[in-house]
Amino acid sequence: MRLALDIFTIVMVSLGGLFFLAGTVGLLRFPDTLTRLHALTEADNLGLGLVVLGLLAQTSWPLGALKLIALWLLALLSGAVVAQFLGAAVRPADWRTDDVSGPREDGR
Amino acid sequence: MGRYVIRSAVLRWAGFLLFWLLLAAPDLGAPVIDILVDLLVGLMAAAVAAWTSLRLLPPTPGSLRYGALLRLAARVLRNSVVSGFSLLPRVFGPRLSIAPGYLSYPVRLAPGPARAVFGALTSVVPGTLSVGTDRDGALIYHCLDVSQPVAEDLAIDETLLIETLGNKPEARDAVPRRKGEARA
Repeated sequence: MRLALDIFTIVMVSLGGLFFLAGTVGLLRFPDTLTRLHALTEADNLGLGLVVLGLLAQTSWPLGALKLIALWLLALLSGAVVAQFLGAAVRPADWRTDDVSGPREDGR
Repeated sequence: MGRYVIRSAVLRWAGFLLFWLLLAAPDLGAPVIDILVDLLVGLMAAAVAAWTSLRLLPPTPGSLRYGALLRLAARVLRNSVVSGFSLLPRVFGPRLSIAPGYLSYPVRLAPGPARAVFGALTSVVPGTLSVGTDRDGALIYHCLDVSQPVAEDLAIDETLLIETLGNKPEARDAVPRRKGEARA
């Protein structure tokens, strides 16, 4: 049982590492800011998600597990919010309108 | 102030306190005075967080449909895995096979918190990123591959979110407008 859990952890954390690598390679290879932001979601969401999933098999239930999941959700939330603001800031002029300039709907 | 405002203020404060306890994980073997001081910080932090959340996201009557919420979470998770794996060969391939472009998606959700949640949920999935609203109030998405059926996927996500929030999904009246600028 212990061995199965350890193998699960090794596979999942390695797979997570692969997604972190994919995110980094994407960050370097993609042509502009917006496509690079997509590469970051790859690392944040799947990379960190798989690392957390792998570590769940090694941590204490339920507190350690909940804490790991909470950290993943916090990273997802901050990543999604920041990516939207960065995306809105670099959006080219033909998709920009005078009255609206960001993810906020109140027009500021 | 309605009753439900006080009720949700207390619920949010308790929720934030639980979250603080989870993250801070106070050492129960420490002297009682240390635990009490730690707890005081947590109580105050939770109160500030609850106050901020009430300012930014005023409570509204009605409750979430948890069944639909679960289905929405499962769908976002599934989408993330599917598009995450489909991105791998594109990123590592010798020819970077992406076709980035914009897509304007006319949302049915009202402006405000619901739409912000929709934007965040869909931006978490690799390949789609919400980058603001246009003059007609449609959400603008930047997609890594505009040849994928992004708008159709977004429509399913949106229907699930509308169900989660307890509203009936309406018939779709507008067809999403597509504008790709394919780049090698």
